[in-house]
Amino acid sequence: MNREEEDRIIREATTSEYKEGFVTDVEQEYVPKGLNEEIIRTISARKQEPEWLLEFRLDAFRKWRKMEMPSWAHLDLPPIDFQDIIYYAAPKKDADRPKEIDPKLAETFEKLGIPLNEREVLAGVVAVDAVFDSVSVTTTFRKTLAEKGIIFCSFSEAVREHPDLVRKYLATVVPVGDNYFAALNSAVFSDGSFCYIPKGVRCPMELSSYFRINARGTGQFERTLIVADEGSYVSYMEGCTAPMRDEQQLHAAVVEIIVEKDADVKYSTVQNWYPGDSEGKGGILNLVTKRGLCRGEGSHLSWTQVETGSAITWKYPSTVLLGDHSSSEFFSVAVTNNFQQADTGTKMVHIGRDTRSRIVSKGISAGRSQNSYRGLVRINKGAQNARNHSQCDSLLIGSACGAHTFPVIRSANPSAVVEHEATTSKISEDQLFYCNQRGIGPEDAVGLIVNGYAREVLSRLPMEFAVEAQKLLQVSLEGSVG
Amino acid sequence: MGHGRYIAPAFGGGVHTVGAGERLVLDFVILPGQSQDLRVEVDLVGEGAEVTLRGLWLCPADERVSVTVRVHHRVPGCRSSQLFKGIVGGTASVRFDGTIIVAPDAQQTEAYQENHNLLLSETALVETSPQLEIYADDVKCSHGATVGRLNEDELFYMRSRGIPEADARILQMISFLSPVTANLSETQKADIESALSSML
Repeated sequence: MNREEEDRIIREATTSEYKEGFVTDVEQEYVPKGLNEEIIRTISARKQEPEWLLEFRLDAFRKWRKMEMPSWAHLDLPPIDFQDIIYYAAPKKDADRPKEIDPKLAETFEKLGIPLNEREVLAGVVAVDAVFDSVSVTTTFRKTLAEKGIIFCSFSEAVREHPDLVRKYLATVVPVGDNYFAALNSAVFSDGSFCYIPKGVRCPMELSSYFRINARGTGQFERTLIVADEGSYVSYMEGCTAPMRDEQQLHAAVVEIIVEKDADVKYSTVQNWYPGDSEGKGGILNLVTKRGLCRGEGSHLSWTQVETGSAITWKYPSTVLLGDHSSSEFFSVAVTNNFQQADTGTKMVHIGRDTRSRIVSKGISAGRSQNSYRGLVRINKGAQNARNHSQCDSLLIGSACGAHTFPVIRSANPSAVVEHEATTSKISEDQLFYCNQRGIGPEDAVGLIVNGYAREVLSRLPMEFAVEAQKLLQVSLEGSVG
Repeated sequence: MGHGRYIAPAFGGGVHTVGAGERLVLDFVILPGQSQDLRVEVDLVGEGAEVTLRGLWLCPADERVSVTVRVHHRVPGCRSSQLFKGIVGGTASVRFDGTIIVAPDAQQTEAYQENHNLLLSETALVETSPQLEIYADDVKCSHGATVGRLNEDELFYMRSRGIPEADARILQMISFLSPVTANLSETQKADIESALSSML
């Protein structure tokens, strides 16, 4: 294909619409712009939090003030003015109908394809916790889940109704001062999901959180805590979108997962924050700390992520394999186009005996984007017979983008076996030619090849997500034939 | 062997610039008892330049070895291939840091890097970090890194045929290192093989 045609197709692709980019016109209440102890007290008071949680926030804020923004990532991170952000925005509640969801909000989630009405969904499909800016709007199927002893609610509710559980597990996986953005989150976090699966219970449906940024000039700081008690199982999904804006918005979340003996947690993300326009203007800065602790013997945690959105992604879902015989997997597809930048990967820390981990990462870069895999596999002294295999592949589409791989392997146990392999290449002319001569156009051919390339990861997603993810891949890359 | 100027194999580090049509082959060996901070940098600045880097390290005692390799593909049509093998025991600690950088417009680049390590003791430490930074799309690049142990099945096979354990382990190490040692002189090979007995 010649350059002109290539350019045309790339132009068309990059102007394709981000269909979740609308704004919901709903009355909202805010706390004033800026960040100081007063603001934190206001947020805490508005959420009617107990004293210990306020102390937790203030402690985090004091730690954060002494920290510096990390600069080690392969990202061109713009300076962030933390005093120019609104840290709390919530839709106003209609006093007459406190039990009902504002129809405008219901409409918003309807438009995004997130079912908030239980009757409309086939029974036993997905329970949803919908978060709009700083608050959770509703959580569905709570009764059905409660019958099994499962707690699935917004984080704020959990603080009110299950303070002991929250206090017991909060910040046990991601300490307050873990890193710059985790400390910031610990100080100002608003809402997120809390999920507790009791001993021996297999969660009968997929649990899902949906995060929506709506208000201008705000940041979203969600906090999610998942606890899987002995022998339990849960599959948890997370999705997110935001309106199209010229300004960049900050999203700094913390997700903590605790997996007890023989429990099994599957965590899936489809990240589709607004990526900015084709000139690299606007978009979400997605600076996230996600970590799981396989605390018990034989516990298992599986991460699956499809990253197509955000102007900048800084995210390393990690697992600490503390329990003997525990295991973890990380499956990732990260797509960047236009001026997007992604620095994402995982950390697997092997502490227990006979621990296993597997990493499969597929990066796809197009346009003028930069896409990096960054990972750590660490085998501690006591991790007898630990085993890791990592595979990181990068696919380049177009000559102006970059694909990078930064893995670190650290082994201190002679019985451990660690393997890492990575390749970088472009879509081969042969594959394209093969498709073309069978009547498949260049765009469809790229879609086909990319989907095939990412298949190993996509096939791990729950059904509802797999379909969405495949479509997203197609849209994100439409026409960027190289 | 190659085309253009052939630069003889040399021991040692430093910065090397390889021009159009030139070919550089660099072998290095770190024998037991040597703590080293070795830095090798190769700039491929002319089209068709080619570099082959091979190295091995044997650290049975309390060595501190750090190997940093940077191969920079600055122009199109260059080829680089790297192979590093290490055996680490005792209380030694080894760090390998290898980076391949492919500049924008350095199309038709082929770059390969491998680093394999055997970790023999509970008190030794290996850290390896093979990195790729790629800013061009028409490239073939790959890297691989492993940290592991000697294969028990192989050992059993040899022992069941009457080979003493110590000899069998040395044979395994010789075979592990052979892709790197194949191009060395007989005296160098002999030096390495006799050093292997100190690894047990």
